[in-house]
Amino acid sequence: MKTERMHAALALVLVTGAVAVTAGCGAGLPPNELVSARATYARAAQGPAASVDPSDLDTAKKNLDRAESSFKNDGDTYATKDIAYAAARSAELAETHARTTLAMKSKDQVDANAHANETNQAQLTAAELARTKGQLASQNQALATETERRKQAEQRAAQAAADLAKFATVKQDPVRGMVITLSGGVLFESAKWQLLPGAEGKLNEVADALTKQDVTSTIAVEGHTDSQGKDAANQELSQKRADSVRTYLVSRGIAADRITASGFGASRSVADNASPEGRANNRRVEIVVKPKP
Amino acid sequence: MQKLMITALTASLLATACGASFPAPQQKLADAEAAHRSAKELGADKMTEAQLNLKLAEEEIEAARSQMKAGDNERAESTLLRAKADAELAIALAREHQAKNETGRAVDTANASQNARTNGAQ
Repeated sequence: MKTERMHAALALVLVTGAVAVTAGCGAGLPPNELVSARATYARAAQGPAASVDPSDLDTAKKNLDRAESSFKNDGDTYATKDIAYAAARSAELAETHARTTLAMKSKDQVDANAHANETNQAQLTAAELARTKGQLASQNQALATETERRKQAEQRAAQAAADLAKFATVKQDPVRGMVITLSGGVLFESAKWQLLPGAEGKLNEVADALTKQDVTSTIAVEGHTDSQGKDAANQELSQKRADSVRTYLVSRGIAADRITASGFGASRSVADNASPEGRANNRRVEIVVKPKP
Repeated sequence: MQKLMITALTASLLATACGASFPAPQQKLADAEAAHRSAKELGADKMTEAQLNLKLAEEEIEAARSQMKAGDNERAESTLLRAKADAELAIALAREHQAKNETGRAVDTANASQNARTNGAQ
């Protein structure tokens, strides 16, 4: 009987102890920390953490499971609250890591774009430089060609002038250009405008000289007489003589559009018409070669 | 006599259930303090986003120390869970702050280069 009473007392103690344990550790509604942890994890799982770094989210889930387990087994204890608090923080950690990773990726993308832009710009600059160099080289080549052309033209002109000097007067006039003066007596009979047979040979040399000139230069054939006779007759004679010379030079290959003919009669005398020598000098044909400006 | 026995057994069961002798959580304290130091070294105390968690970690470490001093090691270990979590979050927030700043600077640099090229091309 005494033993039975002892067993009954022991059972009562055990039941009382179990109730006391349950009451001591608590139970019922989840603590705020666990509610917050659940919400934070749910938010993190919906955000970029799920795709950017799932391992962090997995850790957060395990911590939340620990908190849930603690609450289920031990109730609303400080341990449950602390575990839940840490679980919420680990979910925030997953979110923060994901945002950091995205920021770094964004920076890498910006850097990559900037590098690509710089590379592209460098290539464009190099291409532009090469193009400019090409243009410069082309211009230098053109300049050298032009310089050489002018040099050769000047040499030909000098040679032509030297050839002409044998039977004509050649002068460089700063305004008019090169002036070749042929005596009228060499080219025509008195009061005639048909070329003398001997004149053709001289005009051939003149034509050769003119073809050696710069092809862009213009040529003016000017006829002049002395003051004897009527002005109108002298004017007409000088024009016809200029025309004869022009026609002949064109027949010798001078381009017709480069050469003109004008008669000035006695209006542009270069010597005194009172003396025979002066009148001879005034009877002349001038061929004026004017370089292209 | 029976009443005395029941009381003693109940007290014994409660003590066993909630823990009586629990080792001091020195390692966990050291871990939390290390995380807190790292956060400060990263400048968390100067970053608005991380200041709160750093401050919480400080307070929780201090609370854990007090609990240990009072002999409540189990409670201290639990408190250190919070402290370490807050310190680690402060570190992460500080790094996020740095990453965003670096991204901002990269964008500014890229924009400045773009503007320079645009102006240079005019």
